[in-house]
Amino acid sequence: MADDLVNVTIDGMTLAVPKGTTIIEAAKQAGVLVPHYCYHPSLPSPAVCRMCLVEVEKAPKLMPACATAVAEGQVVHVSSEIAKKAREGVLEFLLINHPLDCPICDQSGECELQDYVFQEGRAGTRYKEYAKRYNPVEDFGQDILYVPNRCILCTRCVRFMDDVAHTPILNVSERGDRAYIGISEEQRLDHPWAGNVVDLCPVGSLLSKDFLHKARAWDLDKTPSVCPGCTQGCNISIDTRDDVVVRIRPRPNLEVNRHFICDYGRLNYRWMNRGDRIEAPLIRENGRHVATDWDTALARLEQVLRGASGSAVILASGRASVESLGLVRRLVDGFTVTAAVQVPLGEEAPLAGIPNLALRRERAPNLAGAELLGYTRHWEAATREAMAAAVVMVLDADLAPADAAALAAAPGLVVVLGSVVPESLENAALVLPVTTMAEENGTYVNRDRRLQRYQQAKSQPGMARPAWWIAGEVLAGPGPSADAPSTAAEAFELLGERWPVFAGLTYADLGFTGRALVAGPAGVAAGEGAAR
Amino acid sequence: MAIGVKVLKRPERQVSYVRATLKGMALTFKHMFEPKVTLQYPEQKSSADWSISQRWRGTHRMLTDEQGRSKCVACGLCPQICPSNCIKLVPGEDEEGNRYPLIYEIDEFRCIFCGYCQEVCPEEAIHMGVHFENSEYTRGRFVYDLERLHAQTHPVSTLWDPSDPRGQ
Repeated sequence: MADDLVNVTIDGMTLAVPKGTTIIEAAKQAGVLVPHYCYHPSLPSPAVCRMCLVEVEKAPKLMPACATAVAEGQVVHVSSEIAKKAREGVLEFLLINHPLDCPICDQSGECELQDYVFQEGRAGTRYKEYAKRYNPVEDFGQDILYVPNRCILCTRCVRFMDDVAHTPILNVSERGDRAYIGISEEQRLDHPWAGNVVDLCPVGSLLSKDFLHKARAWDLDKTPSVCPGCTQGCNISIDTRDDVVVRIRPRPNLEVNRHFICDYGRLNYRWMNRGDRIEAPLIRENGRHVATDWDTALARLEQVLRGASGSAVILASGRASVESLGLVRRLVDGFTVTAAVQVPLGEEAPLAGIPNLALRRERAPNLAGAELLGYTRHWEAATREAMAAAVVMVLDADLAPADAAALAAAPGLVVVLGSVVPESLENAALVLPVTTMAEENGTYVNRDRRLQRYQQAKSQPGMARPAWWIAGEVLAGPGPSADAPSTAAEAFELLGERWPVFAGLTYADLGFTGRALVAGPAGVAAGEGAAR
Repeated sequence: MAIGVKVLKRPERQVSYVRATLKGMALTFKHMFEPKVTLQYPEQKSSADWSISQRWRGTHRMLTDEQGRSKCVACGLCPQICPSNCIKLVPGEDEEGNRYPLIYEIDEFRCIFCGYCQEVCPEEAIHMGVHFENSEYTRGRFVYDLERLHAQTHPVSTLWDPSDPRGQ
């Protein structure tokens, strides 16, 4: 083991890192950020930006930290006088042509050029008499604008398309100060993962049309979450402004999605902002639905479930959390249960350069979790079953008009736990408002059986509650009870009793990148979230 | 007599008010011959030796460019810096693809007139006004929208210049 480690000193801190680590990564471990543009941990390093030049003792000149491997006994100075002067020079060159349009630039506030110039750039320019280069804005594709004036030619976007997406349509055209990012003739940046170039761009050169002018970076509240788009379970950050979701960005998780998400997941947030939400529990009285309070609604739900016997059907949304699916399933334990989860299907879109990363066909983020909890994906069979069942629980499922019409004629009791008003479920005995994944804490299990947490990104509308809360209150019996779970973490811990795969796990074990589940009594995988 | 009260006998000269009254009248009459400092507001709003400071921070004014469009580019710095959170800004895009404010409102009731918005503005668009007559018939009129901010004609504040602290 010791043979594979080398000792380096970075800015006075000595540490041992594996052989072959680059200086920039070793510095990260030492808690030193080496300013950089072209380097990105998920892309190859061409060392073109010259920003990460650091002073290495006994080396004849400054070395690029992103492309120099550490060596035994190396002494690196990141913030020595000479290294700082080099960076100041690079920044000065970049600003010769970079427009100072930060007030109208979408990247402002999260721009690496802005950050580093404030940190260690020159206060003024020495190129007053030269006009800045000007090129018009180009439309690169579906969601991407290219602003060549702001480009600093780090080539991250080119390398992403070449080496990760394996669709080499971007290039550096022209030479010298006329260089810009070109796109192959007759081509559009319509790759299903192309949106990542916007995140990769360190400046505001590649912009998302969807997010254009929508919000400033400093207005956003960022919430760690898990993409509700497909069974891949990419880690995302939901960015909200004034309680409205304005964009979704990837959150690094080296085990699942590295630094990327697909465009489908990126733009799949509009449903989170829907205004036509159910805001109060509705009970059916004299043929019409009447709004009521939770005490009445929960008592009614308990009464309904106690009064019925025979078979029960649960029709659940694929976006329901492990907690909600589990506790709703326990709610109908006294019945013969058929439980199905809705799995919309789409086209698979892999990201070629990253193994085991794709937009999956099954567009249900918690399909694996639902299957662990005894749900099946046989939706058709379950809807047929529902026609004969004593109780039908609809858990935020997006019913097709035909299904809804069929259910409306179902003889059994229909209980809807939904987020939006159901169109044609007039016969539902109860309509209870539930939160969507953006409005609650919870967990999903992805297709590789990785259990991952997501957090509440916006407030819940009206009286909506998570489905696990409703089920937990009813399971705990009437009246206020200490047994009912009051947080998602408590709801999750209740699952272990019934499903051993979750036994012994708590939210604290999951962290923010989740951990893999293994079948068996131990329930917990040994290695957790370690970086590859 | 329960309490013994000692009555002092003072000379008339010391207790008479006539002298004090005449003294006061003399002071009053003296002022009639001194230069007058009263400004006949509202007929008269400034005089040769008194006018409102150029650094006065009054109700806002938004400057416009030659085409009459707002100079504001909706960068979002003023709502960010505003300590009383009185600026509402919604950015948008015009036909030429330029960023501009769709909604820009300042609640002058909430405003504490600190002048940070003018100081932070990179486009020199929003300004404090040298202006102090703000009466309105309704409270709602104190939320100045973009149109209102454009329509203001009073001079804009120069704020305090650290390199010229006395304004010379």
